[in-house]
Amino acid sequence: MTKQKTPKRRFTTNDLIAYAASTVAVVAGLFALVVCVLLIANYLQVSAVNPLDNPQLVELRKQLAAAPETDEKMVQTIRGMDLLARKAFFTSQEELRTGGYLLLGSVALLLIALKIAAVARPKLPEPSEPEGPDSYWKMLKRSREWLSFAGALLVIAAMLCAYLAQSALPISALGPAALETKKPEIKRVAERTFPTWDEMKQQWPTFRGPGAYGVAVFTDVPTEWDLAAGKGIKWKMQVTLPGHNSPVVWGKRIFLSGADENVREVYCFNADSGELLWKKPLPKFPTTPAEPTKVGEGTGFAPSTMAVQGDRICAIFPNGDLACFDPEGNLVWGRNIGKPDNHYGHASSLLAYQGLLFVQYDQKTNPKLYALDLDTGKEVWTAARGKMSWSSPLCVPASMGQELVLSSSKDVIAYDPLSGKQLWMQSCLDGEVAPSAAYANDMVFVANEYATGTAIRLSKDGEAVKSEIAWQWDEALPDVSSPVGSDKFFFVATSRGELVCLDREKGEKRWLHEFEEGFLSSPVVVGDKLFVADRKGTVYCVKAGETFEQVAASKMDEEIQATPAFLDKRIYIRTATSLVCVEKAQ
Amino acid sequence: LLSGAPGRLGSIFVLLVFMFFFTGLAFAEFRFPMPEFESGYKHPEMHIPPASLIPPLVDLAVLTGALALSAWLALKRRSRRGLFILALASVLYFGFYRKGCVCSVGSIQNVFAAMFLHDATVPWIVLAFFLLPLIFALYFGRVFCAAVCPLGAAQELVAVFPVQLPRPLLRVLGLIPYLYLGLVIVGMTTGTGYLICRYDPFVGFFRQGASFNMFVVGGIILLAGIVIARPYCRFFCPYGVLLGWMSRFSKWHTTITPTQCIQCRLCEESCPYGAIEAPTPPAPPMSRREGARRLGWMLAALPVLIAIGAFTGMAFHGVVAKLHPTVSLAERIALEEKGALTEHTIESDTFRAGKETIPELYGRAQSVKQAFKVHAAWWGAFIGLVLGIKLILLSTAKRRTDFEPDRSRCLSCGRCYAYCPMDNPALLATLENKPTDTRVPS
Repeated sequence: MTKQKTPKRRFTTNDLIAYAASTVAVVAGLFALVVCVLLIANYLQVSAVNPLDNPQLVELRKQLAAAPETDEKMVQTIRGMDLLARKAFFTSQEELRTGGYLLLGSVALLLIALKIAAVARPKLPEPSEPEGPDSYWKMLKRSREWLSFAGALLVIAAMLCAYLAQSALPISALGPAALETKKPEIKRVAERTFPTWDEMKQQWPTFRGPGAYGVAVFTDVPTEWDLAAGKGIKWKMQVTLPGHNSPVVWGKRIFLSGADENVREVYCFNADSGELLWKKPLPKFPTTPAEPTKVGEGTGFAPSTMAVQGDRICAIFPNGDLACFDPEGNLVWGRNIGKPDNHYGHASSLLAYQGLLFVQYDQKTNPKLYALDLDTGKEVWTAARGKMSWSSPLCVPASMGQELVLSSSKDVIAYDPLSGKQLWMQSCLDGEVAPSAAYANDMVFVANEYATGTAIRLSKDGEAVKSEIAWQWDEALPDVSSPVGSDKFFFVATSRGELVCLDREKGEKRWLHEFEEGFLSSPVVVGDKLFVADRKGTVYCVKAGETFEQVAASKMDEEIQATPAFLDKRIYIRTATSLVCVEKAQ
Repeated sequence: LLSGAPGRLGSIFVLLVFMFFFTGLAFAEFRFPMPEFESGYKHPEMHIPPASLIPPLVDLAVLTGALALSAWLALKRRSRRGLFILALASVLYFGFYRKGCVCSVGSIQNVFAAMFLHDATVPWIVLAFFLLPLIFALYFGRVFCAAVCPLGAAQELVAVFPVQLPRPLLRVLGLIPYLYLGLVIVGMTTGTGYLICRYDPFVGFFRQGASFNMFVVGGIILLAGIVIARPYCRFFCPYGVLLGWMSRFSKWHTTITPTQCIQCRLCEESCPYGAIEAPTPPAPPMSRREGARRLGWMLAALPVLIAIGAFTGMAFHGVVAKLHPTVSLAERIALEEKGALTEHTIESDTFRAGKETIPELYGRAQSVKQAFKVHAAWWGAFIGLVLGIKLILLSTAKRRTDFEPDRSRCLSCGRCYAYCPMDNPALLATLENKPTDTRVPS
């Protein structure tokens, strides 16, 4: 048996080209693969870390922020580290870019090599077996069937999507009507008598006094004192924990709150002796956030002033903890009303009126105005709010009835305090609004820095309340301090140290005086005088008149952000660490 | 390509292309916070890319020249290689150099905006980019798609191992560009924005920067384009719909054979786009009466399909309205307000920092949705009409005696030239077993 020899195939030029091209393709492919892997690794590395989140850098920044004075060495260290981080980032970006070009080049080479290899090893066309004449008609028939099926599928899919993809938009939300109160009718849990408006006016129950609009009922108060010499000082007491909230007073008791990252406390002092009657830390409520709330440096952990009405004393903190105590410091009720979504921290003060506690919970998400039963903490009514703010509610005695006036980052809205019904609204604010409104004789005045000051005149329009913009002011505007109104004027104290007097009716500037320090505390009208404390701790008393006239300036030797409380012959002033009672000489 | 590359190389290639396009993500969306202090740093002078300084007339001249060259290469010179090189040049100029803008595909939006929105105008250069390829299509077929459109050209370059899809499937997938075209028009008329630009899968590669999602979509399309040639052109491109309409009535069109078709069937499998139509059988298997009855049914179904489409579109309006930035933002805010979403987006944070209130936003969103109801109904009716016409066309008898390109679908890419023995003596010689140097098409 003879073995048949297979003829040896000749190695042609085409084979050589194909072999060379395939080799190049393999090399280019492997190179591209390596570059690709390196690029992905680089990308993951770069995207996973924010170079400025370097713990050492963060710690140094924290230290710098906490330091009372600028440490130039630390600043230089931070700058150096910051620069290094940026350099590293941009070097990495450059590497990515170079890698991208390398990858592009190698893939292009791979494509070309593959193409050459394919050209060098040609293949003849191989038509399939001819189909019968029926195949054409079958194809047309199948096409019609498939198209019909696709059309039906499209309809079903669209219907299914329409059904499943329900809109989250509220159906009734067609404009400002949504700002209407959710529960207009009053559903009080406990019916009992609460202090009347006249009774409340004899106290200092909220931030900026009765109604929270900065007008003191008692006018016989000291105008000048000397803390260092003890002249006019009845007592001075240390406050354990810091807070920018202002003292509130009911009878012989003064209430204020203090807090740090972890502890939130309410204090009660004896108004006559300054003795700390009780100090109550807030318990941890079921939904109190475990983590400390982030607050702005200027806000602190206890910015909101408490509210008191008779035997109910309420406090709120930036983590959403809200508590109500009795005069002896027993917790009546308390709960966390939800961690506020607020980048500076919740700072709005509480207001109590007719057995209702008003919480202006303006925040990014789901801002609301709550009216809670003072005895139980249960919601009596709520109203949806539109925007975030840090301002506080007012309860003003307008001639057409008591009104709750709230400012937000866009609007001023008035509500009926008992039902929550919206009475009027003016869109005249802008920016991050912290100052609350001022009120005097059916005129409301709101102002905010980088916006305008606007006076709103209120009048009766049948059963409704009519509001109209009377005038506007856009020179010196407040950032934190709230304006205040008297019979004839509105006064504005700014963070830059300007004190402005504007004519109440026409908005004309009566005078503007520039002080050395700025004002964070709000001015208070006390009879024919105006009291205002600057941030360094000097309490000025000026005439609330046509011309600027300084009556006195008394130094408290400590920073003041809180607004003092003015009662019969006494002023209660909270400084950075203390509570001071100033008393007029008998 | 007639011949396949070695299998292992193919696998490596597919893997590499996949990884290559996904590494494009590395260039996506890097943000870096501003320094927190005044450092005395001087900002560099603004750098304007040289491409931005090119006068529009140059672009217009390049486009016209490229279209003319493409028409010449496809119809007169019959050069697949020439078209391939032109495609490469188009990707480099219109794609990487001009960053994919101005683009004929996207120009549809400006034209429709100018047609439907009273305050919109279309710049003359955009109008020229819209009209020129259509005019060329009316005379020479889709020579724009052949080698001038950077999106098509990029896909043409990666279509290394193309396969043919079943004809019925092609008919079904051919509905998508109509859907997209309708959506684009709805987008323009409702102020939703430039959807083609927003969802352009290739512009991210041309500009070396895009969102994560668009890189992924672009990568997938190019990856699929290795075997399913030009998926975007055939199954998405809304401009292709208009070009197809023009090309159907083109005065001249590229042919498979330069002379007489000898019905050798060699070209039958050559077109990866399924654009070569075989000769029709001499007689249908049904009587003329039966055929007429079916056509009658199809004609009667047309208004029904339009009505069903309109109703479906109207019902679907809420879903498609979410493409509108106002509705999308309002939905987001509503979910955040309900507590269903705890994280904020840049958009929702920006809104909350602004002047508009949430109820106002909701009100605006509801108005937009109302507008969508009408426009989406028209969109659905349009799709019903397209479907009905396609069914009618599939029910009418056609007569073809030779292998011919389908004028509306043929992209004039020139892949079939080399398969025709009348155009390729070497192939003819090989088939006749004549001893000659084998130079067969690739």
